[in-house]
Amino acid sequence: MKKSLGAAIALMTALSLAGCAPAATESTESASETASSEPLVVYAGRSEELVQPLIDQFTEATGIEVEVRYAGSAELAAQILEEGANSPADVFFAQDAGALGAVSKAGLLKTLDQSLRDLVSPEYGAKDGSWIGVSGRVRVLNYNPERVTELPKSVFDLANPEYQGRVGIAPTNASFQAFVTAMRLIEGEAKTLQWLEAMKVNGVVYEKNGAILDAVEAGEIDLGLINHYYWYAKAKEVGVENLKSKIAQFESQDVGNLRNVAGVGILSENPNAKVFVEYLLSQQGQQYFVEQTGEYPLVAGIELLEGLVPLSDIPAPEFDLNDLDALEQTLELIRQAGLI
Amino acid sequence: MRKPPVIVVALGVFASLAALLPLGYLLIRLGQGFDKAVAELLRPRTLELLANTVVLVISVSVSALVIGFLQAWLVTRTNLRAPGVFAVLATLPLAIPSYVMAFAFTATFPGFSGFFAAWLVLSLATAPYVFIAVSAALVRTDVSAEEVARSLGLSRIKVLLRVTWPQVRPAATASSLLVALYTLSEFGAISILRFDTFTRAIYNAYRLSFDRTSAAALALVLIMLTLMVIWFERRYRGDYLPQRTAMQKPSRIALGTMHPAAVFVLTSIAIIGVGVPLYSLLNWSIIGSSTADLSEIVEALVGSATVAFGSGALIALVGLAVVIWVVRFPSPLARAVEFSIWATHALPAIVIALALVFVGANLLPWVYQSVWMLVFAYLILFLPNALSVISTPIAQVPRSLEQVANSLGVRGNRTLYKVVLPMATPGIIAGAAVVSLTILKELPATLLLRPTELQTLAIRLWSATEELQFAQAAPYALLLVLLAGIPALALNAQARKAVAEVSD
Repeated sequence: MKKSLGAAIALMTALSLAGCAPAATESTESASETASSEPLVVYAGRSEELVQPLIDQFTEATGIEVEVRYAGSAELAAQILEEGANSPADVFFAQDAGALGAVSKAGLLKTLDQSLRDLVSPEYGAKDGSWIGVSGRVRVLNYNPERVTELPKSVFDLANPEYQGRVGIAPTNASFQAFVTAMRLIEGEAKTLQWLEAMKVNGVVYEKNGAILDAVEAGEIDLGLINHYYWYAKAKEVGVENLKSKIAQFESQDVGNLRNVAGVGILSENPNAKVFVEYLLSQQGQQYFVEQTGEYPLVAGIELLEGLVPLSDIPAPEFDLNDLDALEQTLELIRQAGLI
Repeated sequence: MRKPPVIVVALGVFASLAALLPLGYLLIRLGQGFDKAVAELLRPRTLELLANTVVLVISVSVSALVIGFLQAWLVTRTNLRAPGVFAVLATLPLAIPSYVMAFAFTATFPGFSGFFAAWLVLSLATAPYVFIAVSAALVRTDVSAEEVARSLGLSRIKVLLRVTWPQVRPAATASSLLVALYTLSEFGAISILRFDTFTRAIYNAYRLSFDRTSAAALALVLIMLTLMVIWFERRYRGDYLPQRTAMQKPSRIALGTMHPAAVFVLTSIAIIGVGVPLYSLLNWSIIGSSTADLSEIVEALVGSATVAFGSGALIALVGLAVVIWVVRFPSPLARAVEFSIWATHALPAIVIALALVFVGANLLPWVYQSVWMLVFAYLILFLPNALSVISTPIAQVPRSLEQVANSLGVRGNRTLYKVVLPMATPGIIAGAAVVSLTILKELPATLLLRPTELQTLAIRLWSATEELQFAQAAPYALLLVLLAGIPALALNAQARKAVAEVSD
């Protein structure tokens, strides 16, 4: 009696679990059929909140079903590297150029069609055509205007003693590291290390850009180094009139104003992957980034969000985003400075 | 010498091989760049993180033990008023994921971070493990020895240390082992509270440099640490003492003038561990401007419940098999199986997840990204949680009852089904409840291994906090706490029943 009860429970458990298993057998069996009848699999390192509506729009416009797996860009890059050639992913939609670079380096990305690469200025994509930027973001200084009356002219000024314990940084965050990589390549190792060591003293360490913004808003710190759209997203959530902090650029060509991109790479032969990338770079796709994520369009002729300085007018240094995958020495410097 | 049932051996060996799989993966990764891995290990920063980790693990284990033991002793052994209420309060922090607790504290007290913050949050989050194990053991121990000791003139404290403690020591140290390994592998809370430990270094190696070799080297060090913790626990655990057979109600110790102090201490712990997080979650829910979509909430709720409770039941069954093997049929092989299952318990979930991504995508594509892969990952990650809860009840079923059953004509291992399992059923359910609770809160492995269409509350919570939209995250966090409240209450029901048994 007891035994059969136990067996019944086990069976029920098995059935209920099987109920939420994917149709795994179907998808493997149909691999020989035309790829276009299969849903497109996208690994998205961007926030679901921000990009799922865009993907829904894509399905509505093209009739192509999309299965999206959301996780952090870096975790997904690690996952794709482990999966190797057997990755179920057709498209990798990443938060930053570094994650795309890592996957590209392992030879897992297909070269994109020239027609796609022609849409975006070459400075926002891979030199070998293995990935392409679809939206832009800029590093900014987030500050509390009550506590900071005179803005630092350069990100290097933040090393001055007057900023001790006042500056929020996120050394484990990919966009911070991308910025330090750029600093290292533009300004040299010695100067970068010196700056990082100063930030060990002056900086307050956070995990994410958003946490820095919240800390500046809450008055815990006076300044922070973040990406511009966090401020716009916060303004959208709580109302711009309720924001205590502001954002600003440093002066001309300062590496603290680095431009970076979120981008995509294609991993499979599925023809719908190209249709997807085309959509992200279409008028509707680009418009979406402008209105919903507060980012910059990368295709010419799209109007910007009100109050945003055009990307080409940002006083950012000239920098090749392909070099962002040279992360290792950057990490070494950040470690040497004792920040991670 | 009786032999264990075949099914027990089969499940035990399966579980052991499953647990060793990540180890194999790490060795493969290490083989790809040994020199680099050694360089990574020899960095001064690595030693610093190691020191941080050791200090945190020791301090959290000690304080969780003190808190949990105090709660258990007051609730089961004294004339504390409303012991049932305090038993519920002592278990409730289990329902709150430690990352939610960490978020709640930082949102309520800006600037709350560093060692003290990590120590406090993890101590509160893990004390229930000790409370559950110790209160179950206290209820079942032989009180007559304590009464004899008292009558011989020993003070209360001496009775507690010399007579009571040895009886609950196996349960207490087993739950402390769980606490220590939980602290070793914790990532979410300590990164929110900005205290650097070894696990964080492993996550960083993956996330920053996509560097799987260094991460593997660091993870292997974590396994060494785990082995040291297990060795330590084995050494100081002591033997399981049999439960008294005749149930007698012990006289409860009158707290007298200490009663207000006891109530104050228990209430304070509950306010910090349960009150603050709930207040913070409710607060976010109220100030929240964004509204969550109802169908999405329901989908995530159903997904969480199905996966957590289904896997919890399966893992408890495997756990039961291992415990029966180890406790009722002790042998070197049984001990090796148990040891291997514990050995990888402190590995961060991302290591287990990536090991299974590697194995799944390349060797077993038909189960890759299916729910079975996810259940398999949970088995590796959380089987020890089941073991720690199920061990005591199985060990405390008196051998004499089996001998009686034998003499009445029940043959060999049938006594297991006829005698041992029925008596230990509450413990087995408790094991399933603890595993389900832990699965509900788990995130990194779920993210990487789930079937794409599976949504859970923890995933939704993560998506919302990715953009730090606390207001939007709050309903998911609240629901997660409520859903986790179901197994937590099941655990409580047992604690309360036990408490009622020893109450007048």
